[in-house]
Amino acid sequence: MKILVITEQRQGKWHQTSWEALAAAQQIAAETGTTVVGVVIGKGVAPLAGELAAAKLQEVLLVEHDLLEPYTPDGFIAALVQVIAAAKPDLVLFPHTYQVRDFAPKLAASLGKGMIADCVACRNEGGKLVFVRQVFQGKAAVDVTFAGSAPWFASLQAGAFRADKLVAHPSGKAPVNAVSLELKPEQIRTKPLELFREAKQAVDLTQAPVIVAIGRGIKAQENIPQAERLAKALDGELAASRPICDEAWLPMERQIGSSGQTVAPKLYLALGISGAIQHVVGMKGSRTVVAINRDQNAPIFEVADYGIVGDIFEIMPALAEELEKAKAG
Amino acid sequence: MTTQRERLEADVLIVGAGPAGLACALHLANLIEKQRTAGDASSSGATPLAAENIYVLEKGREVGAHQLSGAVMDPRGLAELVPGFEKTAPFYTPVTADTLYFFTKHSAWPFPFLPPSLKNHGNYVVSLSRLVRWLGALVEQSGVNLFTQFGGAQLLYEGDGIAGVITEDKGLDKNRRPKGNYSPGYEIRAKVTVLAEGSRGSLTKDLVARKKLDNVNPQLYAMGIKELWEVQPGRIEPGVVAHTLGWPLDKTLYGGGWAYGLLDNRVSLGLVIGLDYADPQFDPHEAFQRWKTHPFVRRILDGGKLLRYGAKTIPEGGWYSMPRTYVDGGLIVGDAASFLDSRRLKGIHMAIKSGMLAAETIFDALVAGDCSSKMLQKFPEKVERSWIKKELWPVRNFHQAFQRGGLWGGLLHAGFQFLTGGRGLVDPMRAHAGHEAYRKLAEHAALADEISIPIKPPERFQGDGNLTFDRLTDVYHSGTRHDDDQPCHLIVADTNVCATICVTDFGNPCQYFCPAAVYEMVQENGGWRLKISAANCVHCKTCDVADPYQIINWVVPEGGGGPNYDGM
Repeated sequence: MKILVITEQRQGKWHQTSWEALAAAQQIAAETGTTVVGVVIGKGVAPLAGELAAAKLQEVLLVEHDLLEPYTPDGFIAALVQVIAAAKPDLVLFPHTYQVRDFAPKLAASLGKGMIADCVACRNEGGKLVFVRQVFQGKAAVDVTFAGSAPWFASLQAGAFRADKLVAHPSGKAPVNAVSLELKPEQIRTKPLELFREAKQAVDLTQAPVIVAIGRGIKAQENIPQAERLAKALDGELAASRPICDEAWLPMERQIGSSGQTVAPKLYLALGISGAIQHVVGMKGSRTVVAINRDQNAPIFEVADYGIVGDIFEIMPALAEELEKAKAG
Repeated sequence: MTTQRERLEADVLIVGAGPAGLACALHLANLIEKQRTAGDASSSGATPLAAENIYVLEKGREVGAHQLSGAVMDPRGLAELVPGFEKTAPFYTPVTADTLYFFTKHSAWPFPFLPPSLKNHGNYVVSLSRLVRWLGALVEQSGVNLFTQFGGAQLLYEGDGIAGVITEDKGLDKNRRPKGNYSPGYEIRAKVTVLAEGSRGSLTKDLVARKKLDNVNPQLYAMGIKELWEVQPGRIEPGVVAHTLGWPLDKTLYGGGWAYGLLDNRVSLGLVIGLDYADPQFDPHEAFQRWKTHPFVRRILDGGKLLRYGAKTIPEGGWYSMPRTYVDGGLIVGDAASFLDSRRLKGIHMAIKSGMLAAETIFDALVAGDCSSKMLQKFPEKVERSWIKKELWPVRNFHQAFQRGGLWGGLLHAGFQFLTGGRGLVDPMRAHAGHEAYRKLAEHAALADEISIPIKPPERFQGDGNLTFDRLTDVYHSGTRHDDDQPCHLIVADTNVCATICVTDFGNPCQYFCPAAVYEMVQENGGWRLKISAANCVHCKTCDVADPYQIINWVVPEGGGGPNYDGM
């Protein structure tokens, strides 16, 4: 069996979940005795293909064409149909990104195949691959398998597989092979315009490994820089519970909770947050939660792994100072 | 600059898909179908009537999302609307036992006799939300156009009456500027507009004020706060109906508690409190949480799990608070028109019946080609001849007696009223609007010197997280959601009043009577400021009713927002 992993890049920068998809493919390959082929698609992406070749892969396919930059669904589909016809994989894996949502279902449908999207796990049951996806907003999980012949298409949820589990190539580098494509401008119906960002400082809290969140306990807008300093010392992002964003002390995109973002970072620092259920549902998936609050009965302590009953205005600067010292020394 | 609005024309427009609105739609569709199959051509050569020309608007995300009640339903209304409903409806449990208790702090004294108004043999414990959802499906099957996520924002006034409704503008940001998805409200014109908005409907409030449709008494309200629990098996049998008086409500407060056993080990429980109490800092939500700690209730709930929470106002004024229910091109039905029997605590059967009588009135009007008051006034005439009047007339002075005499005076009056077919000792017994009952803090505390300092409000109730809950946790369980970036739908005419005189006069009661923690006074620059968290709103309308200065006006937010009362 051969697994093809379609990685994602934009303007020479990786979408980090590509590495998760590769690691996942390697895991599946190890369990089923198959090989993994990585695909880099775009224009002028040879250096990226070189990076990919450091991983334990059978080969890296460099899929380049003038018409593949910028991204268009028609362009990518036309290219990948040819890649799949030549490589003849059994399983085609994608990271579940916005871009993948745009073209992958069409790609599968154009080949008369279905697609299992946003999977959180995959296991091998006697040679048959079983994918797991969540339904009803995560309240239940469903096992799905493919019926019919290969190629099979699946995408993997961000964070479901660990990129740091990626296995390096045992003997240097995998071969990078360019794929020759036939693409005509008439095949591409969309004309992409300039890329733009909605807000001047668009922040994606769901990608941040460390989050420092403030709540009512911060008391005044003037005190926020103290939390910012701590966030910077931890290389983390600043976030807030609802009351802070209601007062417009921080933009709404930094709000965490049932009416804001849901995050699951490695470390979540809750400063002066009481832990009302509306906030907790947005962060309870965090791997480690540290809570600092003056009130020992604050509900946040029920979800915290480490808690300090104390004054955030004493602790924030002290923590920041120690972290800055550790970074310098 | 006037907005360009898309215009839709309907024969009948019904605002509100609750029991009254849906009963009206379904009955009208049935009458039209009967006429069609009887091969009757309508007179005056007008186009034949069709169910497709009946529009129903519902502001909730889906039908039933904003429906909340205890509830013990008298089946007679539903039996007329959908004969044989028992065979097809999946939402009810027959009442098996009726009990009434007087609570003191530690004990529950069963009443020596059950007042006939609280005898529920033959009635059903229902989830109103499920009932309405089921009715909604029947209405859609009949061909009526049911639009969810659309509210009636403004009435179209024409001549002496109304000509339709404008739905709310969608896609406006906090400052009323159009967003990317801006879509102006539709102008829906109809020959007859039926206001079925429920208790303290916003369009109804506007119409009654503008056309001076008020009766001898203003509408009197109570607030019902409810929780739905899943309990350990055997704690309460399905169909058991328990009502309580007394603790924690003292003799000056109108109200009482309820606990109804449902199927699947579920319990509907809550507290009803009249919104005419004197202490402006009284906290109905806290009273409800405290009521749950009574040994009788605790025994039911111990080891159980909170499923859902909600609140709604209840129109208690009865017959003498009923506004004129017709204008040219318009009718008012259901709770919005005061069709509720406050002594029996039942309104669903009347809402349904009023909807049906409205449908009959409208049918005749459409056939005759005349939808003016001349034809529509037949609606109150039909009500007068129906069992609605027979039931409401003897309780016409019920709630007012409690406003005057407190618990014991009220019961005494009620006794006399029962013996005299409702006349009692005073008929009609006048009542004042509930918000006029507040006593100023200075009178309450009798400490005139202290009122110059900004009052520090008492700490808000926190709850133990197991049996009792703080407001925010409860609000979370109401499932209420609103798009944050929209104009605030709670319009306070002058927030300076909140920040200055209300602080000293009443201590900002909005912080205490709102069951959803929408209102909060925060310190700012040495003074106070009103902070409104409109997204928490559960659409109960208590603030519109109970604000002492009557400067809060609840208007409909962008459709689809609001609570999710599934199972309530």
